Amino acid sequence: MATHHANAVLPDEPEKATLEGKNKILGFWLFLGGETVLFGSLFATFIALRDQANGGPTSQQLFDMPLVAAATLLLLTSSMTSVMATLALHKKNLKMIQVWLTITVLLGLGFLALEIYEFVHYVHEGHKISTSAFGSAFYTLVGFHGGHVAFGILWITLLQLSAVKKGLTVVTAPKFYLACLYWHFIDVVWVFIFTVVYLMGMIGGKVG
Amino acid sequence: MSAHASHAPAPKRSGLWDWLTTVDHKKIAILYLIAGGIFFLAGGYEALLIRLQLMYPEASVVGAKTFNELITMHGTTMIFLAVMPVIFALMNAVVPLQIGARDVAFPFVNALGFWLFFFGGVLLNTSWFLGGAPDAGWTSYTTLALNQYSGRGVDFYVLGLQIAGLGTLIGGINFLVTIINMRAPGMTFMRMPMFTWASFITSGLILFAFPAITVGLVLLMFDRLFGGNFFNPDAGGNVVIWEHLFWIFGHPEVYILILPAFGVISEIISTFARKRLFGYSSMVFATALIGFLGFMVWAHHMFTTGLGAIANTLFGLATMLIAVPTGIKIFNWLLTMWGGQIRFPTANLFAVGFIPTFTIGGMTGVMLAVPPADYQYHDSYFVVAHFHYVIVGGLVFGLFAGLYYWWPKMFGKMLNETIGKWNFWTFFIGFHLTFFPQHFLGLMGMPRRVFTYLKGQDLDVGNFISTIGVFGMTIGTILFLINVVVAAKGKRAPADPWDGRSLEWTIPSPPPEYNFAQTPLVRGLDAFWIEKMAGNKGMTPAEPLGDIHMPSPSFLPFLMSVGLFIAGYGFMYHNYVVVAIGLILTFGCMFARSVKDDPGYHIHEDEIEEKGVKA
Amino acid sequence: MGAHAHNEEVRKPKVKHDGPKRHVVAFIGSLVLTALAFIAVAYEVIPVGFTVPFIVVLAFIQAFFQLFVWMHMDQKGHEFARISIFAGLFVILLAVIVFVYWVWI
Repeated sequence: MATHHANAVLPDEPEKATLEGKNKILGFWLFLGGETVLFGSLFATFIALRDQANGGPTSQQLFDMPLVAAATLLLLTSSMTSVMATLALHKKNLKMIQVWLTITVLLGLGFLALEIYEFVHYVHEGHKISTSAFGSAFYTLVGFHGGHVAFGILWITLLQLSAVKKGLTVVTAPKFYLACLYWHFIDVVWVFIFTVVYLMGMIGGKVG
Repeated sequence: MSAHASHAPAPKRSGLWDWLTTVDHKKIAILYLIAGGIFFLAGGYEALLIRLQLMYPEASVVGAKTFNELITMHGTTMIFLAVMPVIFALMNAVVPLQIGARDVAFPFVNALGFWLFFFGGVLLNTSWFLGGAPDAGWTSYTTLALNQYSGRGVDFYVLGLQIAGLGTLIGGINFLVTIINMRAPGMTFMRMPMFTWASFITSGLILFAFPAITVGLVLLMFDRLFGGNFFNPDAGGNVVIWEHLFWIFGHPEVYILILPAFGVISEIISTFARKRLFGYSSMVFATALIGFLGFMVWAHHMFTTGLGAIANTLFGLATMLIAVPTGIKIFNWLLTMWGGQIRFPTANLFAVGFIPTFTIGGMTGVMLAVPPADYQYHDSYFVVAHFHYVIVGGLVFGLFAGLYYWWPKMFGKMLNETIGKWNFWTFFIGFHLTFFPQHFLGLMGMPRRVFTYLKGQDLDVGNFISTIGVFGMTIGTILFLINVVVAAKGKRAPADPWDGRSLEWTIPSPPPEYNFAQTPLVRGLDAFWIEKMAGNKGMTPAEPLGDIHMPSPSFLPFLMSVGLFIAGYGFMYHNYVVVAIGLILTFGCMFARSVKDDPGYHIHEDEIEEKGVKA
Repeated sequence: MGAHAHNEEVRKPKVKHDGPKRHVVAFIGSLVLTALAFIAVAYEVIPVGFTVPFIVVLAFIQAFFQLFVWMHMDQKGHEFARISIFAGLFVILLAVIVFVYWVWI
């Protein structure tokens, strides 16, 4: 029976070593399928309403390519560093997990900071959730994604703190694995956001 | 293995505290049944008032606004708060037993799902006392549902259903993981009982349909509470988006409702014909196909919104296609009965009564699927007749059947058969009296959702008979309640009162806390029947007797749901301090749960007994 | 903590530890695909009518890179993971098509 402390007796792929771990991973993938429909519905709504600016600023006028590119780079890199954390998990190296996750969280915070700056800027330009259907759809879709990023940052940070005391066990391993799966997923969603919201919104307008 | 499991004996909890903190699927099933039952009575009372108002032309039993609240709450309560919880009650009570498991995959989340549903339902119903219930229909179409045209009632709808819907969603994920990962050795997918298959596919539908309504409700909430413009044409919004999102959820929802009933019918028909289910593989395939096609037909609720001929045709054809796998199921049930030794306890009366009734409902569904014809039927009583035939004549009959069938397993008592027969016949006759005339009322032009009608339009007789029928259903329901009380005083039920075919009948009624002393070894479809035919008294165990590890009870699911309940009121009344309090409670509990691992407790080998422990 | 008997602990068979290589390749691939999409829009190198399908296809390719490589969706034991994501995509694709063509008529 696996004990708390000795990493040496931790089985390979510790996140899947127990029924509980396997259940959690499967349950989480199913949840991601549901999240696909959730974000997808928001995307569908956005696509239908993206041209309805109601006299307010349009996407061509608002979006700034360098900022979006920077945010994308931050999030994409943070997804890569979380992969490195999972690899460290398979090597059962708690210290490296913590290093990679810290970098992930910092990059994620950078992404959020850019997004908050962006939203504040847009509000000053007169683009609010109540301005138009486009405004409502934009802030809901991109804001929900941002909310997911914030939740992920909080989750990973809490896991990191609790791992200081509990170490890497067959109980904590699935938690790390799931948090990284979640983090990858919100990066996949971002791929579609920068494509459908920002890039498609900048076609035909001035670009950076 | 879970780290450092406590070797202390089972925590002794009793009374109310036991029920508030349980994570045992069998108890959660009973909680779902009680709560769902209470909401069923509320929805039934709302129906009674509706039909009393419509009994005579230009009656004044209730006024127009109250009538709109009644029809909205009747639909919303019955679907979300009555029948779905009873479905979850049966799924919780039966599925883990049918697959030979000791609990569901996530017992804590199971409890959370129940309490979220409960508090969402309570929140919705407090609207009656806080300024008026929602009155925009259970479908809450925009623009009517926006602030300009409806009062605070719709906010209760928006928040209450988001909370309850979250509970359903996590329940769906729970059953999917349970069925995929926790089947007993030897139970391949194609050896699962039909009720488990139906629960499996239903859970998949829940997973992919509920996010769509969640988004719809969030968007409506943003429009109503935060100045959003999704559905406001003056600012570029589009009202039909609500209808799309609602029905992208709403159509799979009705298959979520009926597929479990199909599963129940398959179990009962084959048990009481003493014959295995005819065409098992085609039943599985048909169920999956219905589920799959169910996502492709939603716009048949929107034929008259101006989508155009091409869209209408595609959706109409897809809708008619669903009749094919459904028909396969009907024929399979009939062929199961053919040549069997049929007995008719009450469970089978409801199951056999289901077949022609549901078929009529399905048939009118195909009529509705023809777009040009639907231009005439849409928003008339023909539609009301159709969906009551499939939901009441289909689902509710199936739920009664399932309750009579599995009552001994859940409660250790048999429901009384004499009262049961009176229950069935009064409800069955009452049902047909209520809804059959409504087809004709619709064809004669009576619109739905009208609070009255004029004399001399030939609508009097149909409405009158329809209301008389409601009295029959009321009596039937009361008889069921009486039966519950009478049964409680009866003798203990045996493990296998019906000469059953599946694993739930191999353990005592009610089962001990841990379900199976030893996980059984499954040798084929109808696992228990195979053993019986081979002359064995019970199942062969797949593991030696040993200590059993159980999850600990917890108060957190209750608290987390209370948190969202509080936050809901905060949102509705624009009081963000209250929102913060509620959300901090919920997320605080989530954090506590994550940080403090549940060690569970052990039931020691010598405590395992063959006698059932009182639930 | 699902309830189950003590002796149910399953030991996974040894899995070869894939190093970071596949993942770094996926990362670089994602960077390239992202850059291509941005350039296509910024410099209008592609005729405008084709730009939208082009960047959408790039997005799907990148998404699948990340799902299959970073999230191990291509590996054994991920059958239901695949079914889940593809089913979600299927549901939503239908919705997106209807929203694009049949909301504003």
